[in-house]
Amino acid sequence: MKKFSNIYILLYSGALLAAAAIVLSVANMLLAPRQQHNEQLEQKMLILKASGIEATARNADRLFSDSISTVNLGSDEEPLPAYRCGDRHIIELHGNGLWGPIWGYLCFDAQWTVCGAVFDHKGETPGLGGNISTEEFARRFVGKSCLDATAQFIPIILKKNANNNSKHEVDAISGGTMTSNGVTNMLHDCLAPYSTCMQQTVRAQVTSDEQ
Amino acid sequence: MNNKNLKYITLPWRDNNPITVQVLGICSCLAVTAQLKPAVFMAVSVTAVTVLSNLIISLLRNTIPPRIRIIVQLVVVSTLVVLVDQVLKAYFFDVSKQLSVFVGLIITNCIVMGRLEAFAMHNPPLPSVCDGLGNGLGYSFILILLGFTRELLGNGTLWGYPVTERLHDIGYENNGLMLMPPMALILIGLLIWIINSRKA
Repeated sequence: MKKFSNIYILLYSGALLAAAAIVLSVANMLLAPRQQHNEQLEQKMLILKASGIEATARNADRLFSDSISTVNLGSDEEPLPAYRCGDRHIIELHGNGLWGPIWGYLCFDAQWTVCGAVFDHKGETPGLGGNISTEEFARRFVGKSCLDATAQFIPIILKKNANNNSKHEVDAISGGTMTSNGVTNMLHDCLAPYSTCMQQTVRAQVTSDEQ
Repeated sequence: MNNKNLKYITLPWRDNNPITVQVLGICSCLAVTAQLKPAVFMAVSVTAVTVLSNLIISLLRNTIPPRIRIIVQLVVVSTLVVLVDQVLKAYFFDVSKQLSVFVGLIITNCIVMGRLEAFAMHNPPLPSVCDGLGNGLGYSFILILLGFTRELLGNGTLWGYPVTERLHDIGYENNGLMLMPPMALILIGLLIWIINSRKA
């Protein structure tokens, strides 16, 4: 039984852990560049998709540098980063779903009406809350706006049996209430800072139309 | 390959299926079978982990001190699972996002540890690999069957492609209940019922 003395057990576990650590570190080092590249590509593809440009993993890099630029819609003290594609603005959203982070991009036209959207999530239940990453869900946002007729800020909300004629209500996901609430909060938290900027553009347009 | 090894591979498909007979690995079976694609990738990942962990533990079996054997198994399994997760992230990014936490949860899949404890600790490498492969495939079979049924009836799609679109015109509706985890449990229950009644 000397083989399984306490010292043997300690040495054995030490060696096993060292081996496991080496294998994992090497794998991580080898795969990290590819994983980071995947993540950046994923972000670019989401932004392109929100702005209505079909991209594949192959041409995403080129399309992104050709058609998307970054802008600051706030001041130097309080920057409000956004992406610009022609006269459209794309705003990044991030919040929390039921199980983990959720994020997305909303593309607004010159009148700050949503003309494209994408959402994604880390760990929402597939088939339920996970459906926020489907195109069908994203299309529900097209035509919505967070400004009313008098340019007041009204957040877009997700609710069951939403009134489709309302510009501020979107049908929630059945079976994904918690995730839908997460999306509602995310929309409020991430769009509210931009409300002043949106109001300024819309009011400026109204005045120039009147003149 | 002799008959005995072949039997290790085929036995877990039906007569000793890890899910329907041993009732192991149910948790992940409920979680990832709402759609076909994640179910298939989960099946492949679990099979890879069972085969490799069976091989490694079988090679080490005479050196493992019995008192810490479970910990040793756990270290081997978790290393393999993290590896699988990293590879998925690097080469199958979209699927790895869909599977998310469930890849990590392979560590706690009873099939993996069950096979290590029951088989790989007492058998040479080749039979162990066969046993791991057989159990992985047995698990995969049920997982893919469930993924197929649930996505088709619950969402009207297969692998993301719409299948039942035309039926909607004549009044067919998707059954949202199919996508809920409890429905996977009910379907597994029905499967076990059918299999047991055929055996009797």
